[in-house]
Amino acid sequence: MRKTYIIVVVLALAAIVGNHLISPSSGRAVSPEDFAGACAPCGAPCPSKK
Amino acid sequence: MTTATMAAPKSGATFGIDRLFLVLALIATAILVALVLLDGQPASAALILGGFGLGIAFLKAEFSYTASWRRFLTRGEAGGLLGGLIVIAITALAVVPVAALKQNFGGAIAPLGPSLLIGAFTFGIGMQLANGCGSGTLYTAGGGSGRMLIALLFFVVGSVFGSLSLPSALSLGGIDPILASDYLGPWGGLAATLASIALAAVLIVAVAKRRGASFMPSRNYVIGGIAIGLLCVGVFIAGGHPWSVTFGYTVWGAKAAAALGFDFSHAAFWQWPGPKHALAESVLSDTSSLTDFGMLFGAMAVAAAAKPFARTAWPPAKSLLAAGIGGLLMGWGARLGFGCNIGAFVGGVASGSLHGWVWFAAALPGCLIGIRLRPLFGLSRD
Repeated sequence: MRKTYIIVVVLALAAIVGNHLISPSSGRAVSPEDFAGACAPCGAPCPSKK
Repeated sequence: MTTATMAAPKSGATFGIDRLFLVLALIATAILVALVLLDGQPASAALILGGFGLGIAFLKAEFSYTASWRRFLTRGEAGGLLGGLIVIAITALAVVPVAALKQNFGGAIAPLGPSLLIGAFTFGIGMQLANGCGSGTLYTAGGGSGRMLIALLFFVVGSVFGSLSLPSALSLGGIDPILASDYLGPWGGLAATLASIALAAVLIVAVAKRRGASFMPSRNYVIGGIAIGLLCVGVFIAGGHPWSVTFGYTVWGAKAAAALGFDFSHAAFWQWPGPKHALAESVLSDTSSLTDFGMLFGAMAVAAAAKPFARTAWPPAKSLLAAGIGGLLMGWGARLGFGCNIGAFVGGVASGSLHGWVWFAAALPGCLIGIRLRPLFGLSRD
């Protein structure tokens, strides 16, 4: 199980760093709730706005 | 005390530390903190460190929502549930008034409707099969449980499926979020929120007494509950919203699927502004992912500091199957239910949003089903 963990941690870290380096990063970290019209933590719209 | 007994703890402490994984966890955390600081984002660094602290607190206190709910349902024991309410009450003290009074802060809100009920109920089944909830899966996987690593993988997969199902589930109908502070103001909303928590505590204790079970939270749950509650407040201040776990999983899964060629441009969920932004931007731009990474490595660090890391054998295949199925159900349920026990229940109730209590009421019967299914996978009902 230790070997599995070492592989998973190294691959996950590489994926995180790789994604960060190749993706845009426009300012502070946000949650989908920060966007206009969001009605839930995942950014779903309100039933009344449909 | 003899020389032998005096020497034993020293020796155990020396050889108990797993330097490889302790260093790995600390280096990984340092790399992530450095990356966000290079981008000039101290709040993001605070979220990673807040998650790191949560990983330590959960693991040290052995704070488990899943086991607490199971003990309440099977034996009537209420101590764990009350420990969970301590977390919510402390978090509410900051979230309800600050979200109502300060710009750039908001509570965890969600619509009420069939999607919430179906999602929470499904999540309840999954959390008992996987033997961990949103936060539990994270800190036990980080703490060296290979079984929960499987649960986490399937949680991620399930949450991507959930993201594809959510728009259809929302079309079943529903009403806009109901927030106490919208009706009663910031302080009246806080009073109503704390009153609802107190009422829940009284009801839970009454059930425990009626069943002749204990209802006093253990010392671990009281201290852990206070520490976790304070860390939740810190995460709220750094991120502007209550701590949430599962949206990060959805983003990781969607990014992995996109890298494998899956096209999300026709998926309604991924066209909503928030998810679309999260999929396009760096994973370190998502608040939920930041605390998730911190929690994983915090749990790993504290587990590795205490004893050899991940030395146990893999559990039986049936147990791994339960972890996989449970993870899938939790992932799907978390998207339809607007979060897990943290994002929907703790965050929702601590924000004074009615959906938090509705989520709890729908997840409990799901847990009952999950508990009944556990023996099929060689897991105990206790």
